[in-house]
Amino acid sequence: MAESASSSGGGTVEYIQHHLTNWCVGQCDPVTHKAAGFWAFHVDTFLFSLLTAGVIVWMALKLKGQLSLERPSGFQNFVESIIEFVDQQVKDTFPGRNPLIAPLALTIFLWVWLMNFMDLVPVDLLPFLAKLIGIEYLKVVPTTDLNTTLALSLTVFALIIYYNIKIKGVGGYLKMFLFHPFGKFFVPVNIVMTLIEELAKPLSLALRLFGNLFAGELVFLLIALLGGTAGIGLALAFLFPLQVILDLGWLIFHLLVITLQAFIFMVLTIVYLGMAHVEEEH
Amino acid sequence: MARNPSIGPLLIGVGSIMTSMSVVGFLLGYAVDRWLGSQPIGLLVLGFLGILGGLMKAYRLLSHPDLFK
Repeated sequence: MAESASSSGGGTVEYIQHHLTNWCVGQCDPVTHKAAGFWAFHVDTFLFSLLTAGVIVWMALKLKGQLSLERPSGFQNFVESIIEFVDQQVKDTFPGRNPLIAPLALTIFLWVWLMNFMDLVPVDLLPFLAKLIGIEYLKVVPTTDLNTTLALSLTVFALIIYYNIKIKGVGGYLKMFLFHPFGKFFVPVNIVMTLIEELAKPLSLALRLFGNLFAGELVFLLIALLGGTAGIGLALAFLFPLQVILDLGWLIFHLLVITLQAFIFMVLTIVYLGMAHVEEEH
Repeated sequence: MARNPSIGPLLIGVGSIMTSMSVVGFLLGYAVDRWLGSQPIGLLVLGFLGILGGLMKAYRLLSHPDLFK
């Protein structure tokens, strides 16, 4: 299949594989350039996630100097509307009060959205520029790297455990494993089921975000291949306009997807932390 | 019967909790089977517990008294 694709379309499989390979440093496979050990670092993931985090910090600092009660700027109104939206979600979903939840939810929403937004940069632009300065592989969307989404979800998971222990106490948390959901007569089953329930939380967070963004990136690559594999001739005259239309359509649709995914990640974080703050009845 | 504003986020959570609990059940079962060489007992038992746990969790969340008020 790879050979036929390669002979008919100028290496479509290689093109997709190239765009889905991270800039790996450390314990990486010299042939596939994939991580081959614990000490493998995806430099592009670090770079773009820190870059997007830097954008948030820069915007916040910029806004801090312009804040006005009498004459708020359009940008201030825009940021206030996002903050109010997130704050309302926390009020609707989170039981009780915790001053950490709303800032955490806002940070997650903005950061995940910005990382997802990198998916809308033309797929060939940044890898092409990187190649000019000698970087062979560059994957520009941090959330298409499972390491990023797992890191985010494991951080949330650590907070879930922390608040479970803080609110319910170590004994209360252990009791949850021993006596939930079937009561004191099914302790071994309870331990397994609660373990499954707890492990499902970070997994569902990480895999949903990664899966959606990875698939989205793949669709962009496939659309980009339409014109790229047509060669010069009549096929190009048909496929190139088709590529532009499909790209535009998918880009508009994907704007919804990236916003929805950032929203879901934020909301589930609030829901899971909310569950950790509730004393369950048995 | 008015809908509670939190119903949307709650329902997003329910769907994902149910599916991911089933997945984690099967994954844990697979890991246990590999560890103990007990194929396919662990996969079946823990997979079943994952599905059951997911369904029970969904039921408990959806039958929360504050869901509709």
